[in-house]
Amino acid sequence: MTSADFLLQMDEILGLRAGTIQGFEKLDELENWDSLALISFIALAQSHSGVSTSPQQIVSCSTVADLLRIARVDVATSPTQVAKSRQSESV
Amino acid sequence: MQNTVPQPLRFPVAVADILRQRQTLKSELAKQANLVQTRMAILGGSTTAEVKSMLELFLLAQGIQPTFYESGYNRYWDDVVCENPVLWNFRPDIVFVHTTWHNVSQFPEPLAPAVEVDGCVRREMTRFESVWGRLHSKLGALIIQNNFDLPRLRPLGNLEASESFGRINYLLRLNAEFANYARDHSHFLINDILYLSAQLGLAAWFDPGYWYNFHMALSPGATVALARNVAAIVKSVYGKSKKCLVLDLDNTLWGGTIGDDGLQNLLLGRDHPLGEAFVNFQQYVRELRRRGVILAVCSKNDAENAKEGFSHPDSALKLEDFSAFKANWDPKPDNLRRIAEELNIGLDSIVFVDDSPAERAIVRDELPDVAVPEVGSDVSSFADILENERYFETHKLVPDDLSRSAYYSSKARGSAHETSFGSYGDFLASLQMVAEIGAFTPVYLERITQLINKTNQFNLTTRRYTSSEVEAISGDSAFITLYGRLADKFGDNGLVSVLIGRISNDTVEIDIWLMSCRVLKREMELAMLDALVEECQVRGIRKITGVYIPSKKNSVVAGHYASLGFNRADGTSANSELWHYTVLPSYSPKSRYIRRTADAFVALS
Repeated sequence: MTSADFLLQMDEILGLRAGTIQGFEKLDELENWDSLALISFIALAQSHSGVSTSPQQIVSCSTVADLLRIARVDVATSPTQVAKSRQSESV
Repeated sequence: MQNTVPQPLRFPVAVADILRQRQTLKSELAKQANLVQTRMAILGGSTTAEVKSMLELFLLAQGIQPTFYESGYNRYWDDVVCENPVLWNFRPDIVFVHTTWHNVSQFPEPLAPAVEVDGCVRREMTRFESVWGRLHSKLGALIIQNNFDLPRLRPLGNLEASESFGRINYLLRLNAEFANYARDHSHFLINDILYLSAQLGLAAWFDPGYWYNFHMALSPGATVALARNVAAIVKSVYGKSKKCLVLDLDNTLWGGTIGDDGLQNLLLGRDHPLGEAFVNFQQYVRELRRRGVILAVCSKNDAENAKEGFSHPDSALKLEDFSAFKANWDPKPDNLRRIAEELNIGLDSIVFVDDSPAERAIVRDELPDVAVPEVGSDVSSFADILENERYFETHKLVPDDLSRSAYYSSKARGSAHETSFGSYGDFLASLQMVAEIGAFTPVYLERITQLINKTNQFNLTTRRYTSSEVEAISGDSAFITLYGRLADKFGDNGLVSVLIGRISNDTVEIDIWLMSCRVLKREMELAMLDALVEECQVRGIRKITGVYIPSKKNSVVAGHYASLGFNRADGTSANSELWHYTVLPSYSPKSRYIRRTADAFVALS
């Protein structure tokens, strides 16, 4: 799964329009980021990288970038680069 | 349609997929037509947000659209005992009480004497009964209550189970008390989380991370299992459980091909691993039949060969266990249609089990209403798959259920009997039918409620009522209530018809009139009308009105009121027809072939 796909799945988890999450948002600014979304994210991380994350780890995150790092989503790519690559994909 | 339930929600459920795709799944399922609406209150002893989210998905997968009330955190007792006005105004149809072992108010102390342990049990039961009693008396809702799961930690080790002050022993005792309460109260159902937690394993059932961070008493995977179980109970309450299991034969009920291998070479019996697996599957199917599931065969075989298989000495199933038997070389969808017609049930009441993926695919493709579980070809998993799909879930077992298969078999004998008569009237007369028709009595309320919620075809309004509502109606003098039992020389058909009329001045308005398809074309509806008119005459009621609300399944009664001599009223709307009938002193009973008696079953003995 690419980082772009991962972000799209996060859009789905939060019930947002595809392409809403860019990768650099603060979690408390995300619509629908609640305990249900957190649980769903844990499942997403598990399926992406086989990483078993705990609720405690996720609760300690404050940004989407933190989540991506925990889920081991292409951490070499900065959120800005991810956003740019999504823009170019949509052209 | 059965086969359009999204794959993640079907057995084996894909928990991770469900969690990731829940929004999409919910949107997809909410688009289904003819969703049954229900109002459900979730009263939690812990965090319930995930429970509500999963319950919504699995209810939608069953064709039921919930509107929820959710209590505050651990407010299950307060909301009820303090009569939270928001809950009270919500008027739920169903209340789900989501408590777990964490909500036990006090465990006995180590080495507590028996009398002290008894006192703990009594106090705990009093606390819960104060909730249940108020929910029933003030809201009249159906209650679904978790029993208790077990804690993962055992400070006393094995003594937790054997000593009366041990927590496991204590929780099992409370579960027994809960079960007693369920037995004595028809509006109260147990959600068996003791079993679910055992099935999943306690390590998977409870996750400390979710407890400490969110006070979720169950892990996400356990919440999915719980929601699936509660949805199965609700599905049963709303009459959506399946009725008939249709089975292939070769390599489904026995190993080998009867036509080629012959009886003596079939793999069936405990002297071979595969043979034993087939015997065990047959035994499971036989247990389904014993509790009222109708069995049928649909096999590509010569009929005589197919029947011979059941004479195998190790066959747990016998030919007479099956109410319909189609063994020929016709396409299986055609045979399934014939089975449905012969048994007078909808295709959506049928589950079809076949080891052949090709046959399963053809049936799924041509008959999307038939449930076709993906059983694979390994017989050792057939029963597990059937069990886990919860097709035949029942929330109450009544004596009529146990005799259902026998009825369908006797119906087959009756059909053979019919062909020997010149006229249909002669045939009806030969049945020597007797009917017991009277006002609702407590002993029949469970069966009456079952019929109200399961009958789709001969049902003028398709209105559904909970057991509490039926109980209230039966005690209300503003209603005329009639049940009808019918027996004939082939046996007892059981309680087969229900009528509820609401009295308004000198008119009775028929709110519910339904009849089991077991007794279609027997003129039982005439006997019920005779009884209704008789009751009206006693009460000085001069007019009967009835409404026909067309549905997808009740076109069979489109002409019901006209055939009884009712007149159509003006101003009928597009979605319903209003009919009326004048009760005259000169009314002459219409039923010709049914004798009324105080006890139909005794009359036939």
